[in-house]
Amino acid sequence: METAALDLYSLRKSFMEGEVLICFNGPFSHSIIEEIGIAVKRYLETEAASRSAVADVFAVFVELAQNVQSYTHRLKGRKDELGLDAGTLAIGRRGDNYAVSAGNMIDQADAGPLSARLEELLTKDKPGLKALYKERLRGPRLPASGAGLGLIDVARRATQRLSWSFRQIDDRYSFFSLSVII
Amino acid sequence: MNDLLIPGSISSPTVRLDASRGMMELAGESYPQNAFDFFAPIIDWARQFLRESPDPLILSLRLSYLNTSSTKCLIDLLDLLENAYKIGRAARVVWHCDRDNERAREAAEEFREDVTLPFEIVLEGPAQ
Repeated sequence: METAALDLYSLRKSFMEGEVLICFNGPFSHSIIEEIGIAVKRYLETEAASRSAVADVFAVFVELAQNVQSYTHRLKGRKDELGLDAGTLAIGRRGDNYAVSAGNMIDQADAGPLSARLEELLTKDKPGLKALYKERLRGPRLPASGAGLGLIDVARRATQRLSWSFRQIDDRYSFFSLSVII
Repeated sequence: MNDLLIPGSISSPTVRLDASRGMMELAGESYPQNAFDFFAPIIDWARQFLRESPDPLILSLRLSYLNTSSTKCLIDLLDLLENAYKIGRAARVVWHCDRDNERAREAAEEFREDVTLPFEIVLEGPAQ
């Protein structure tokens, strides 16, 4: 029996329909984040995006990718038919804007606190986000990864409300996905 | 007291800490794998300089991008200089920005809001 070939055409079709420019799925390492970062900047510069837009897309990419890297690293070593160590990242257009989306498997126990942090960000306007950012900057270093600060920075750079979802995969894990429009 | 030179990489700035001139220079982008590990020797150097030398200390920055972890570390370094300044030490910051890099300038301005030591933002490159 032949192994079914990867249907590249349907993959390509979803990328084109979703206006995806750059996509990565797999374990995130620091060098992969550096390489994708270079590619993102080059690509946006050839698209003649404004320097601030390039800077914001790049910054949001770095914060989301480093969050995914540090979180998935903590799940490493657990039994892994779900791809717990793999993150999924897509950078694309959304009309006249850019979208940076990142997702990974999370322990369901972490979904509540994460959701609460994101909900809190939605209640703030830009000056409120700046005040919260400065307050957290001076606060104690968070034991986990400092992800709180990264999400506030991302919210400050977003031009629209953050959107996210949790998709339950089994009784222990959910797939968390966050999308940021710039 | 020793000088410290850390060569730059894609995600970490070139660092030149020169004891004889009292000059700390950081240039590049900063989003290293572990910002706290990266900045620890830089902060230690500044602490030692302030303890052992009576000379002025200048922090010269040319950072086009910092991630949030690097920002937190740079705040720690600035707090160290700020506290020295408040007890009468000569300490100042010079932040060099590309004129057309608005985000880098805004980042520099946000750092400046929180300190009272002399903090100059120098815009470079051709005027638009």
